[in-house]
Amino acid sequence: MDFFKKSLDPRIALVAIAFFDIFLFLILGAWTVGGGETMMTGLAAELIIGDQINEIPFWQIVFPPDFGYWKIYISLGMLFGAFVGAKLSNEFFWRFPGSLSEWVMITIGGLMMGIGIRLAFVCNVSTFFGLTPQLNLGGYLSMTGIIVGAWVGSHIYKKVLGF
Amino acid sequence: MSVIGEILVAFLFGSIVGLLVQRSRFCNTAALRDAILFKTYRNTEALLLAMMVLTIGFTTFITFGVGQTMKFDVGLNQVIGLFIFGIGMVLAGACTVSTWVKSGEGNVGAIWALLFTFIGMFLFSLLWSFDYWPPAPIAMTGEPNLETLQLGFANAETLQEKTGIPAIFFGLIQFAVLLFIYLKIQAKKTLKTTGDK
Repeated sequence: MDFFKKSLDPRIALVAIAFFDIFLFLILGAWTVGGGETMMTGLAAELIIGDQINEIPFWQIVFPPDFGYWKIYISLGMLFGAFVGAKLSNEFFWRFPGSLSEWVMITIGGLMMGIGIRLAFVCNVSTFFGLTPQLNLGGYLSMTGIIVGAWVGSHIYKKVLGF
Repeated sequence: MSVIGEILVAFLFGSIVGLLVQRSRFCNTAALRDAILFKTYRNTEALLLAMMVLTIGFTTFITFGVGQTMKFDVGLNQVIGLFIFGIGMVLAGACTVSTWVKSGEGNVGAIWALLFTFIGMFLFSLLWSFDYWPPAPIAMTGEPNLETLQLGFANAETLQEKTGIPAIFFGLIQFAVLLFIYLKIQAKKTLKTTGDK
């Protein structure tokens, strides 16, 4: 099938995703990723530290661990869909960051993403694909933050990789 | 809808997104980073188009009171949080979507980024448990509160309620702004191609 041979124009992909997102908005709520990831963090923490998680108020008040939280399954679906796409187009192979500086940047970047999402109650997906198209004030505040952040990040990235 | 139904719908939606993003190599990080660093807009254009479709779609349904909007108070924490997130996603080379999609392609760097996103979230949960800021959903009032640096809640629904003007009207204004940016990029690209000749 051609779909798995040639890469797809991202404009077509994203317009299609937008239509599916409108359906999701009608049924459950717009596409978001950060909330599902937080719930997974809580479930993983519960698995590792057991009942001690009850001593951390955040997991009692904001995100009581719950396997039935639908947003978790958006993330798992993305992992599954991408795996199927990569397998069928022969693009699945294990690849590793090439240098120590990349490992360090990914580690710091990952931590900052996690902290940022929780501080904002919002991730990049809800900013661009949920809040802003709903004309939510939070979308405009988040967009301001992410654009300035990406600008600063891009200049750090340029400096570290030296181009 | 039952919990199982919700899970199935969410998984199906995620699978379609994962497949489409994998096949198109769309990346939200690249949509911002490449526009800033390299002045290339392949991903930025796609992001703008999706936002245009969503703005019209959401505000049309909101006009008729249909759909599940996101409801929570917002404030300074969105600006600071997404600022930190914005730096992080460029350093990690992936956003929340591409970490999952690249993980599905066997990218160990993306799996590592995901792992540390989870660790970052857990660290924040410890910090939050000391100062309880930003306010938890149960403590949100929908009104501005300077003490907690919150501006309250406002979206297309509240705009429609307060002004009596249909939400789609405001949606069309936002659509026009997004279209203007999209056309500016097109003009820039044409200029670049002509200049190259």
